[in-house]
Amino acid sequence: MKTITDNMSITECINTSNYNEIKNDKSKHTFTAGTYQNGYNYKEYSGNYLRRNGKYLNGHTLTSSSDEEHLNYKLKRLNGTKALKKEKLVKESFEKPTLISTLLTSISFYILMFLGYISQALFPPKVATEHNRHGYPHLYDKFASFYSRYVYRRIRDCWNYPICSVPGAEVVLKERITPDNGWTFEFTGSQRKCINLGSYNYLGFAEKSGPCAELAIKTAHTYGLSTGATRQQYGTCEVHRELEKLTAEFLGVEDAITFGMGFATNSLNIPALLSPECLVISDERNHASLILGIRLSGATVRVFQHNDVKDLERVLKTAIYYGQPSEESNKHKPWRKICIFVEGIYSMEGSIAHLPQIIALKKKYKAFLYLDEAHSIGAIGKSGKGVVDYFGCDPKDIDVLMGTFTKSFGSAGGYIAGTKQFISYLRQKSYASKHACAMSPPVAAQIIAVLKILMGKDGTDLGKNRINALACNTQYFRRRLAQIGVITYGNQHSPVVPILVYLYSKIVYSVRTLIENNIATVGVGYPATPLLEARLRICLSAAHTKEQLDYALEIIEKVANDIGLKYSRLPKDPNPIQYETLELNH
Amino acid sequence: MLQELLKFINYWYFRYLLITELYMVEKWERVMIHIVLLIIFTIIGLFNWIVVLGAIGYFVGPVINDNIKRQVMYS
Ligand SMILES: Cc1ncc(COP(=O)(O)O)c(C=O)c1O
Repeated sequence: MKTITDNMSITECINTSNYNEIKNDKSKHTFTAGTYQNGYNYKEYSGNYLRRNGKYLNGHTLTSSSDEEHLNYKLKRLNGTKALKKEKLVKESFEKPTLISTLLTSISFYILMFLGYISQALFPPKVATEHNRHGYPHLYDKFASFYSRYVYRRIRDCWNYPICSVPGAEVVLKERITPDNGWTFEFTGSQRKCINLGSYNYLGFAEKSGPCAELAIKTAHTYGLSTGATRQQYGTCEVHRELEKLTAEFLGVEDAITFGMGFATNSLNIPALLSPECLVISDERNHASLILGIRLSGATVRVFQHNDVKDLERVLKTAIYYGQPSEESNKHKPWRKICIFVEGIYSMEGSIAHLPQIIALKKKYKAFLYLDEAHSIGAIGKSGKGVVDYFGCDPKDIDVLMGTFTKSFGSAGGYIAGTKQFISYLRQKSYASKHACAMSPPVAAQIIAVLKILMGKDGTDLGKNRINALACNTQYFRRRLAQIGVITYGNQHSPVVPILVYLYSKIVYSVRTLIENNIATVGVGYPATPLLEARLRICLSAAHTKEQLDYALEIIEKVANDIGLKYSRLPKDPNPIQYETLELNH
Repeated sequence: MLQELLKFINYWYFRYLLITELYMVEKWERVMIHIVLLIIFTIIGLFNWIVVLGAIGYFVGPVINDNIKRQVMYS
C-alpha cells in the first residue's frame, strides 16, 4: 500500500488516498465506535468515549496537552539556527479600540441604517424596480441594493476615482463633482496630481519608460498584443517559456505555470486540485478569488481565525478527528485531501502569515499548503521573494506557491509554482490553461524584465535598491505613524498599512481631505472589512521619496488631530526616527 | 473671545457630526436626528428628575431642597 510522505507531490497523491494509515486506525475501532455513531447524543458521547478509553478516531485524539510543546520543538528543529526569526511575529499588532469607541461606532451605524431606511421610504430611488412579479422571489438581494443606494451612495465620491496617468509614486486624478449626493457625477475637466498611497505598486515598477517598458514595447512589435489562442493550442511563445523558467528560478522551485489573470489563477486552478471529498481550511480573511475557487471545487470548508495558528490547529484536529460529515452509512470517512489556504500578506490587514508554524502544522497533520503570495511576492524578504524568503523557509515545503504579477511587478497575470510533476498536471488539467487565452506577450515581457532586475541578471543592483527602499519606507512610515498615535494593523514589515478610523464619516472626511491636500489613499469599509473596523489603507512603494512620505505624514497627523484618530494606547517611541539610519532586518 | 468660543463650538459640533455619522448625510436627515436625540435626552432627563430622584427621595428623605423645587415650579 502506498503511503503519503512529506516530499510527495500533489499529483502523486491524487490517486492515493491521503489517509491510509488513519483509515486503518479507524477500522480497528469501528466495532466499539459503532455504538456511539448511531447514538443521538453523539458529540457528548464520543467525548466520554474518548476520555474513558483513551482511543482515537481517524488517527487523532482531540485532547493532547503536549501539542504545543511538540509544535515548538518541531519548529526549532525545522528552522535550526533560524529560531531568531520567530521574533518577527511578535511585532504584529491588532490593537483593540476602547469599549466606548466600539459602542459609539455601533450606535452611529444604527443611526445610519435608520436614516437609510427612512430615506428609502420617503424618496424611493429613481431606478428600475421589479413590478408585477407576483409570486416571484426578488431577483436582487434587497439588503445589498439598500446598502449600496442609501449608505454607500452618500460617500461614493471617495471611490472609483478615474485616473489619467501611470500609477507610479504620483498619480493624476480626474476631478469630478456630484450635484445630487452621489447619484450621478460630472467631470469638471480639471486634474489633480496626487502622491499615490493607494496603488499596489510596491517596487515602483509601474512605469511608462525604462528597461521594462522598452522590452514590453519591443515584444509588442514582435508578437503583437495577443496570442489569440490558449496555451494548449497555438498560444505558447518564447516569452511564456522564458517567463515560466525565470519565475521558477526566482522562487527556487522546479517549475511554474503562468496565467493571464491573478484572480482567475486562484479561482480556476483550485477546482482542478480539490474535489468534494476534500477539506479546505481557510483563513477568515482570505481573498475573494480563493473563496470563489474553493466554492467552485465543492470541497468542505472550515475557517480559522485570522492568522491564529492555534485556532488552525484546533480546526485541523477537529476536522481530522470527525472526518467527513456525510450520510449515516459512511460517517467519519477520512478526507481525501486536506489543504490549508493562507495568504502571504493580507491586503486588508497588513499582516503576514505565520509561515514557519503553519509549515510545522502542515507537516504534522500531512495537509497540503496553498500559499497566495499576491501581495507579498517582491514586497518583502531580503531578495524580494515573498514570505518564504522573509521567514527563511524552504519553498519546497509549500505545495502550491501562487502569486500575481499585478502588484510588485507592475504588470498583469498570475503564477503557480511547485514541483515539476505538479505543474505538468496543472498544465493539462487547469481550466485557466485549457480554456483561457494565454498571457499577452508584452505583459509577459514586462514581468521578465522585472524578474531579471530583481535577480540582478541585468548586471546592476537596481533591484536590490528597490527592495531596500521599500523596506526602508515601510519601516519609516509605520514607525512614524505609531509615533503619531493612530492604530495601524499588521506586521511591522508589511508595506500595506491600514490605519483604523472605525467610522464611515471619518473615512469620508480623511479621504476627501487627503485628496484636497494632493494625497491619494483608499478608504475601506464594510463589506470589505468587518462592520466596525473601517480603515484607511495605505500602500507604500519603493518609488516614494522621503519628502513625499514626510509630507503625507504631516497631513495625516493634521487629519488625525482634527477628527480624533489617535486611538492608540501603546507607548510611543520618543526619539525622532532617522530615515537614513534605519535598520532593515527584513 | 467670542470668536474663540464660536470656533470651539463649531469644532465640537463637527466632532459630534462625525461620531454620529451625521457628517455624511443630507441636511434634513441631520435635523431629524438632532430632534430625535434631543427628545430622547429630554425624556431621560425628565425621567431622572421625576422618577429616579423621587424614588430616592422616598427612601432617604427629600433629595431636592423644597426651596429649589418651589423656585423651579414658580419661575
Ligand atoms: C490575495 C489575492 N489573490 C489574488 C488577487 C487577484 O489578483 P489580480 O488582481 O492579479 O487578478 C488579489 C488581488 O487583489 C489578491 O489580493
